[in-house]
Amino acid sequence: MLITLFIIVTIGFMVIRLMPGNTMYADDPDMSAAQIEVLRAKYHLDKPVPVQYVIFLRGLLLEGDWGTSISLYVGVPVWDVLKAKIPVSMYNNIVSLMISLPLGILSGVIAAIRKNTIVDYATSFAVVIFISVPSFIFATLLQYFAAFKWRLFPIIYDASATGAGKLHSLLLPILALSFSPIARVTRYLRAELAETINSDFMLLARTKGLTETQATLRHGIRNSLVPLANVVIPMFTHIMSGSLVIERIFSIPGMGGLMVSSINAPDYPLTLAILIFYSLVSLVTVLVVDLAYGVIDPRIRIGGRNIE
Amino acid sequence: MRVDDLSVSFRAYAGLVKAVRGVSFHLDKGETLAIVGESGSGKSVTMKAILGILPKNGRIDSGSIIYDGQDLAKFTEQEFYQIRGKKISLVFQDPLSALNPIMIVGKQITEALTLSLGMSKERAKVRALELMNAVGIPDCETRFHQYPFQFSGGMRQRVVIAIALASDPEILICDEPTTALDVTIQARILELIKEIKAQRGLSIIFITHDLGVVANMADRIAVMYAGKIVEMGTSDDIFYRPVHPYTWALLSSIPDLDTKEALVSIPGTTPDMIHLPPGDAFSPRNKYAVALDFEREPPMFRVSDTHCAATWLLHPNAPKVEMPELLANRIRRNAEERIADER
Repeated sequence: MLITLFIIVTIGFMVIRLMPGNTMYADDPDMSAAQIEVLRAKYHLDKPVPVQYVIFLRGLLLEGDWGTSISLYVGVPVWDVLKAKIPVSMYNNIVSLMISLPLGILSGVIAAIRKNTIVDYATSFAVVIFISVPSFIFATLLQYFAAFKWRLFPIIYDASATGAGKLHSLLLPILALSFSPIARVTRYLRAELAETINSDFMLLARTKGLTETQATLRHGIRNSLVPLANVVIPMFTHIMSGSLVIERIFSIPGMGGLMVSSINAPDYPLTLAILIFYSLVSLVTVLVVDLAYGVIDPRIRIGGRNIE
Repeated sequence: MRVDDLSVSFRAYAGLVKAVRGVSFHLDKGETLAIVGESGSGKSVTMKAILGILPKNGRIDSGSIIYDGQDLAKFTEQEFYQIRGKKISLVFQDPLSALNPIMIVGKQITEALTLSLGMSKERAKVRALELMNAVGIPDCETRFHQYPFQFSGGMRQRVVIAIALASDPEILICDEPTTALDVTIQARILELIKEIKAQRGLSIIFITHDLGVVANMADRIAVMYAGKIVEMGTSDDIFYRPVHPYTWALLSSIPDLDTKEALVSIPGTTPDMIHLPPGDAFSPRNKYAVALDFEREPPMFRVSDTHCAATWLLHPNAPKVEMPELLANRIRRNAEERIADER
């Protein structure tokens, strides 16, 4: 995982630095050539890219120094900028994931049990719509109807709210983010469970006297959760990337807006830090899911132990 | 238990599959009835109908399954909860897929007790350990907390049997319980089933495609072909006095280690259950078939009080046909051996 992260940081750094247009302040008419030189020297922009890379890496590893913002928040350490934004974005993303999983599982189970009935068809229809329509469309629709027309929610994020109020003001973006993951989980679980229901151990569960519901709840669902853990990884990264756009629509001061403006500025250290942050989150998701396999599936937990 | 004229069919894309066509048999208390037949002869479907676990596209068309004065064929899913596991249990063919792979074995046994009998967890555990002991699983305490993948095939089948016995049923249906196992393990599982039967006074319906397996298990044997019982009688009737050509063919195809005879097989395959041939379904593969066999289905002819068979050969006007010489010799030999053994 550390090696993966190192490769991502290296490639990310190189790509960002080698992008055209990296002569900072060069065309600023208010500054003299000497001033520009001083600034460039201060941020090591006058040195060759590999040297800059070494300086960056040394700062990050030895002092936890992510560099300093060079144009958006001039002089502010990058970490301080991120510190304010990360909680807002992660709040959205994680709440969205927390909503999507149970709702998706629930509707997937219902669709599987009522397979080939009107309930199943309706669910499948909704799933197709929610997967194929991008989240920002739902965001705009929700914003227009729920917030503007019916005035149930604030139109844009209210930064001063806390606790329940915060959830209330973030509910629309979270909902918009959750539609597609819910649909994905539903579709996946329906397919898995429909197969599990036909397995012999479900039949055995019924022949030993369990009702169909008991058999499905106790034997069916957990068995179909094992492969589901697999979809959680792409799902979470999907939520995070969706969140970049949604945050703009609802004016949420999170990572999304920051990322776009840091690229436009350009503010290299900031862009790089955001990139590293997102990579790190994705890697942690993978790790968590891998560990979750062991919890859900004893064959992985105990099987691994036996090999040692 | 008494099954009368039971018919089951399945809706399939190609048409209606008549899997079971008027099967009748009875099972007395404490006896073992073996149902023998090729794959697709409807033996498993009959058992599923008895337990009310037919797939959704399957349906009982007619007939009755009388158990304890009630007709199971008319039972609702709700009513079956009182039967499954508690009165009639099933031992599956493949212990590998019949156990939930991610639930500890102990819990799979106690589940039947806590959920459907309302037993407390502690008592259920004690009972489960007893059961595991009874079916010959060593080191129960440890095994209780293990998962199916940590068990060997034979041990898994023992677990499945323990589950089937959990709620003390009266009838145990064994659906090819040894097919998925090694030959040596097969013998031990058969031994176990016999023991359990004797201890608990169970009635057993034993389904298999292998006459050899049932030879010293069954009191009575029913031979099924294409959804019908073609011959039924006591074990001795079937093994020493078979009358139906299909039974002859089955018996001839048991490999005999004592002679150098070539292994006999039955020509052809089982008929298409959607478009059954007119007359006797076995006639196209039957070298003893008479003309009437291709036109009308034979009724059950009585051979003796315990023995009956559905073949026109038993009709008073039918030509006298003897069973194949090879089989006759073999039966004679077996009978002689048995007499020798008894001495």
